[in-house]
Amino acid sequence: MRILVVEDDKKTADYVAQGMSEAGHVCDIVEDGRNALFQASHEQYDVLVVDRMLPGLDGLSLVKAVRAASIGTPAIFLTSVSGVDDRVEGLEAGGDDYLTKPFAFSELLARVNALARRPPVQDQKTVLRVADLELDLVRRQVTRQGQAIELQPREFTLLEVLMRDEGRVLTRTMLLERVWDFHFDPKTSVVETHISRLRAKIDRPFDVPLLHTVRNTGYSLHAPR
Amino acid sequence: MRRARLLRSTPFRLALAFGLLFILAFMVADIITYQLLKRDLAEALDDSVRDTYSVVASTYSSEDAEDFVAGVATYARLNSPEDSIFLLVNEKGERLAGNVSLFAADDGLSTVKAGDIGLKGDDRIRIQAGTVSGNRLIVGESYSDTDDLEHIALMSFVWASGVIVILACGGGAFFAARAQRRLDGIERAMSDVSAGNLTRRIPLEGNGDDIDVVAGQMNQALDRLSALVEGMRQVSADIAHDLKTPLNRLRMTIEEAMQQGGRGVDIQSLLLDAREESDRISATFEALLRISQIEAGARKARFRPVDLEDIMSSVAEIYGSVAEDNGQSLAFATRPASPSMVNGDHELLIQLFVNLVENAINHCPPMTSITLGLEAGDGGFAATVADDGHGIPEEERELVFRRLYRLDKSRTTPGSGLGLSLVKAIADLHGAEITLKDRHPGLGIIISFPAQPQA
Repeated sequence: MRILVVEDDKKTADYVAQGMSEAGHVCDIVEDGRNALFQASHEQYDVLVVDRMLPGLDGLSLVKAVRAASIGTPAIFLTSVSGVDDRVEGLEAGGDDYLTKPFAFSELLARVNALARRPPVQDQKTVLRVADLELDLVRRQVTRQGQAIELQPREFTLLEVLMRDEGRVLTRTMLLERVWDFHFDPKTSVVETHISRLRAKIDRPFDVPLLHTVRNTGYSLHAPR
Repeated sequence: MRRARLLRSTPFRLALAFGLLFILAFMVADIITYQLLKRDLAEALDDSVRDTYSVVASTYSSEDAEDFVAGVATYARLNSPEDSIFLLVNEKGERLAGNVSLFAADDGLSTVKAGDIGLKGDDRIRIQAGTVSGNRLIVGESYSDTDDLEHIALMSFVWASGVIVILACGGGAFFAARAQRRLDGIERAMSDVSAGNLTRRIPLEGNGDDIDVVAGQMNQALDRLSALVEGMRQVSADIAHDLKTPLNRLRMTIEEAMQQGGRGVDIQSLLLDAREESDRISATFEALLRISQIEAGARKARFRPVDLEDIMSSVAEIYGSVAEDNGQSLAFATRPASPSMVNGDHELLIQLFVNLVENAINHCPPMTSITLGLEAGDGGFAATVADDGHGIPEEERELVFRRLYRLDKSRTTPGSGLGLSLVKAIADLHGAEITLKDRHPGLGIIISFPAQPQA
């Protein structure tokens, strides 16, 4: 993947670029908003990683300008501005995701991966399948090896989110946002509790586990490799 | 310098302006009165001269011209020419009687100088001349009495003006100095306050005048200001204190890692500890920022009608299993029959109930039952989060909403001491009131949402 990192703090920019190249991506670093706008409109990128506070042109205006030029490249805001309104502002400006500093690199990587490979909107399957696990969105039924599995509504949503992003790592905060619509960090193990309950229902009675914990990062649902 | 300051002073300027105006008005009144008096005196003199003339003239009868001459001579003898003059002249121009030497005058009233008619002094004389059966009769009166009166009047006006000027200036200066002294008092107090002495207040006279009222209001504003500053100082001191501990822990972990790394021991777990600690520190900052942003109130612009029951039941549903894993129970017991719509921020209200439920889960022992409730009443709603755990001691109830405040016994459980501050900030934003209730045992937190305006 080709990623444009727009970040004026050199240390952060290098940290991101190094991590991305270790993950097999190609990174370009631009330090100010105006050059970033030029770069984004003249080169092909898969994802833009944009700091909110930039010299020249701030991140919000940059993404607005990029969108105004009909460039649909997914953009994720990376910023120390972490107010309640700032996330909404960032999404309204045309950003696709939002991550506040300080952040774990694994979190950023998971989100960048999710953005770049976001399935097209017309991909409206009614039955999701991972190995022998099936989830029917219309009848709201889950089966594994043909056996029906009873899930609580929230567990169903959790499984749906995990299955839609099959094989990708979803971080704890990504799950909180997508499954629970929580845009803050809860002080209890909500995610862990629901994951372990889901696991008890879809994995434990069967031989092969599908729901995997990715250490220090998050969770991933995939067929045995 | 001093003069320039005096000229800029409002009371002094006002006193000066009013003094000048007063003096001017008094002068104008003086001049008008003086002129009127002068005219009156002149008229009175004319009347008197005319009267004397007609009295003298009336003593004449055609049969006895001798008598008339003798009459005039008597008048002339009885009156000093300095006061009144009399002169009777026959057709041939010979002086018949009188106390002045011969002179000619036109008929009617006129004024002559004493020197011109052979008298001593420089008085002016008002005369009336006429013809009585062929003889010319001239009667006159000196202006000296009138002039004396005018002089007295003029002098009294001059003296009065002088006194008034002194009074106006002195009084003006006195009142100006008085007002100035009080303004100076305000100025001194305010400059003390700007220099940082927030306990300083403006001294009041206690007479309830406008300066006192203004000074009183300024004192009240200063009271509020110093309370706010004190609160902020308290919060920043708390924050500094509370962040020092984890920063210190972080430093110790790093130092330990350095030592062990030097000995070639694996330091992975220490680095993980350090990362966790720094995450906690930034989470505290995040929460503080979030609270201050909520308190700033900008979110109000995004308020939409939201269903409280919907929010609470999803929180109950999400946390039911968390409580269960903790050996506790969570139930959404009482619900209203109709939809419970309030104007609010969905995300923040979720966080409000999540924080309360998480507090109960984290601070209550196993076997505790946590109950959510929602009741309609008075057009508003009362949401309850209750538990039968340890509760909060009476004397600490108010303190728990303070930033970074933690009950002594909860120092060991996770949390930043910001959860309830955030709850309070969100409740305040929604105009809701929080009440803490002792349930013997346990704690009940009631959030009363006000009556909603009909959409």
